[in-house]
Amino acid sequence: MFACIYIPDFPVQAALLSEPAEKRTDLIRSPIAILDGPAHIPRVFAANSAARRAGIQIGMTKLQVEICDSIALRKRSLAAEESAQSVLLNCAATFSPRVESTAPGAVILDLTGTEKLFAKRKVDQFDGVRRTDACQAGRPREIWKSAAHAIAARTAEAGFHTRIAIAANPDTAFLAARGFSTNTMIPVGEEAQHLAPLPVVTLPLSPETLATLDSWGVRTFQSLAALPSVAIVERLGQEGLYIQKLTHGTIFRPLLTFEPEAEFAASFEFDDPVETLESIFFILNRLLQELCARLLSAAQAASELRLTIGLNVRQLAALCGREERESPRVVPRRSRAKTRLSPERSRRAAAAILSEPSGESKDLFEHVWKLPVPTQDKNLLFSLIHLHLQNVTFSAPVRFLRLEVVPVKPRLAQGNLFAPPSPEPEKLELTLKRIRGVVGATDAEGTGCAGSPHLLDTHKPGSFTLQRFSDLENSLSQAFPKAISQAHPERSRLIRKANQPAQSKDLYLTTNFAPAISLRLFRPALETIVELDGEKPHFVRLWNRQRRVRAASGPWSTSGNWWNAAAWIREEWDVALQTSTGIVMYRIYRDCLQSRWFVEGVFD
Amino acid sequence: MRAALLKAQIERTFPAAFTVYQRSENRGSIPTGIAGIDDAVRGVPLHALTEICGSLASSGKTSVLHSLLAQATRDRFCALVDATDGFDPVSGQAAGIVLPRLLWVRCGKNRGPQRSRFWRDGMENGVKLPPLEQAFKVTDILLQSGGFGLIAVDLSGIPERIVRRVPLTSWFRFSRVIERQPAALVFIEQEPHATSCAGLVLRVTSNLPALSGNLFTQRDLNVEVVRDREKKPVSPEKRGFSFHTQWA
Repeated sequence: MFACIYIPDFPVQAALLSEPAEKRTDLIRSPIAILDGPAHIPRVFAANSAARRAGIQIGMTKLQVEICDSIALRKRSLAAEESAQSVLLNCAATFSPRVESTAPGAVILDLTGTEKLFAKRKVDQFDGVRRTDACQAGRPREIWKSAAHAIAARTAEAGFHTRIAIAANPDTAFLAARGFSTNTMIPVGEEAQHLAPLPVVTLPLSPETLATLDSWGVRTFQSLAALPSVAIVERLGQEGLYIQKLTHGTIFRPLLTFEPEAEFAASFEFDDPVETLESIFFILNRLLQELCARLLSAAQAASELRLTIGLNVRQLAALCGREERESPRVVPRRSRAKTRLSPERSRRAAAAILSEPSGESKDLFEHVWKLPVPTQDKNLLFSLIHLHLQNVTFSAPVRFLRLEVVPVKPRLAQGNLFAPPSPEPEKLELTLKRIRGVVGATDAEGTGCAGSPHLLDTHKPGSFTLQRFSDLENSLSQAFPKAISQAHPERSRLIRKANQPAQSKDLYLTTNFAPAISLRLFRPALETIVELDGEKPHFVRLWNRQRRVRAASGPWSTSGNWWNAAAWIREEWDVALQTSTGIVMYRIYRDCLQSRWFVEGVFD
Repeated sequence: MRAALLKAQIERTFPAAFTVYQRSENRGSIPTGIAGIDDAVRGVPLHALTEICGSLASSGKTSVLHSLLAQATRDRFCALVDATDGFDPVSGQAAGIVLPRLLWVRCGKNRGPQRSRFWRDGMENGVKLPPLEQAFKVTDILLQSGGFGLIAVDLSGIPERIVRRVPLTSWFRFSRVIERQPAALVFIEQEPHATSCAGLVLRVTSNLPALSGNLFTQRDLNVEVVRDREKKPVSPEKRGFSFHTQWA
């Protein structure tokens, strides 16, 4: 069996869907007309039954319609109609996986195999076991009646007034829902009998065919069905035969099932640009709640979160214009009293922001969070956004927000049972975010401030980078061969024998390292003055004092990158300096390109 | 009768109100990899705050820290809060630290979080946190997060007069938080500050460096156990051991 959900006056109901529920109930009973067409001559595109009773006809101009005092006018919104159709499809999908979007405001669903669902519904409703048994045993009429009630109740919850028709084939259900003003149930084999009183305008006919049928005096399904088929084909062709079969209710066709495109994005546009974090967080929380609910219903998890914030740069542009008045929202209320910018200074500041040399769009702020583990946790996602936005400076008030998540299958199993205990990946991401909020994301050179140190493949001293401290064990097995070869050549020979990275890791972890003297660095290196005795350092000026060199080891010359601008040549010395507290070992070096001395660090 | 009722009511709200807090006996430890220290105190204790001190810039406390991290990163994830950004990854790796298992937080490299002048939420723009405060905040975050086997805070580059200003309540709080976690919290400083909050205090000193010809090869260090909560009274003797340079 097939059920058709039909929304009468679909453009009207779609336009009212955005209204509050209480207001919508009152509006649907009063005359409403939907206008469409060019802005200078809008015409009535659709009207509800109350409006038609008041004399409103399709195609009337706005001026003609406005004669009716009590009529409410709305502009046609294709977006609202698409949204309403999507809601309708979602309603239908709660009853059957096979749903067809037949026409705007009309959906057909295949009820085959759902009998028990509606029979159970009866049990819940009436708490009667005997009745249920009767339904399951062989009273399909009761079951389909129950189905029609359930579908109507579900669509009413969504805000629609619908008509439901149930029949043995999709087209019959569609025509019955469209033609009859109440819910209809057509038993198998009685299609022609039930459809007989419907007018032929219910059929999908071209205006020419309709005119031809009208000239023959054929105005109902019954009269069309009674005509001889051969004669119809001779006069109207195959189209005539098709519409006659529709009147008989004998056309069986497969459903063109609707595959919903899962969209995991949500956006919000503010009526007025906002300037406070609280307003933004309130909306972001709501959007995230919506997205996480969608992820849950689709059995998906977010692997990536993208935030786009639209900025109202026009207010800044207004400052650059000829108008002398200052935009009221650019200067915060708190600072307006004391630090109000002069118009000239404001214009200069705004112009500097707008004429960014990078050429990038300044009215959008975008950020992407790549999550180490797919998650459906709204609080985690919100905390990530919260911690990031606290440290961001925007150039203008916020106009709109858009959130998008990249869905993947959720993690179903834990990782490695034999790995050392580690922070939970979800929690670790938040921890790192909080830490970056305190120490900053990167330093002046662009190196990260929190992460796992990774040595670069170069001989230049102090060359390292900070890796993401998230993909812990995976990065571990790949990091060892190169890392060991830099520090311990003899151990790197052992490593080369090992073919698998995992073996290298195990070898590294079981190697006993003798305690070694470590260097503590000064970043940046301290510039100093060195007095030489021949080639050896004799005095080193440190902390504004001359320190005598008690012992010196060097020079150890290194150089590199001579083929490009990043060339470096240095001579290192390990020196023992006499200080007031004792003898301290330092590493100093001479930058041969600049002929300057630096203290690199202290052996501690 | 009334007192008993009151006690029952209070215990219903605060279950631990009338129970005496007792530390667990078997606490475990992380070996430092230095025989002298491991023999004396069985390594750095878990569930406790440890201080490794050395007043001299070249006393050897960083070498002890690297050796400890090398042992700890074999079977744990560790964090190093570097207050003055002095950690040398090359030295660390030469000492045997498993760098991918080390979270290195470099403090003092940036100004604090900046606020937009469009936000009217009352926060000051460009809050600047000193490195010491950054280090303590990060330590707090790491302790709350959990999951790290060792959290080392290197304050050795911070002047002594500044570290001395840290209120005792901060040390006490760290001490109480770490007691509930299977982790060790180690501070590297010039002088001990945590007083009775510390479970173990080690003082490291060094002798003259040894030169083999023109090559700096070795340095002898001495370790003194200043305080050990597990073993009282502590042995006053200093234990000596040798550290070699990476190239020796």
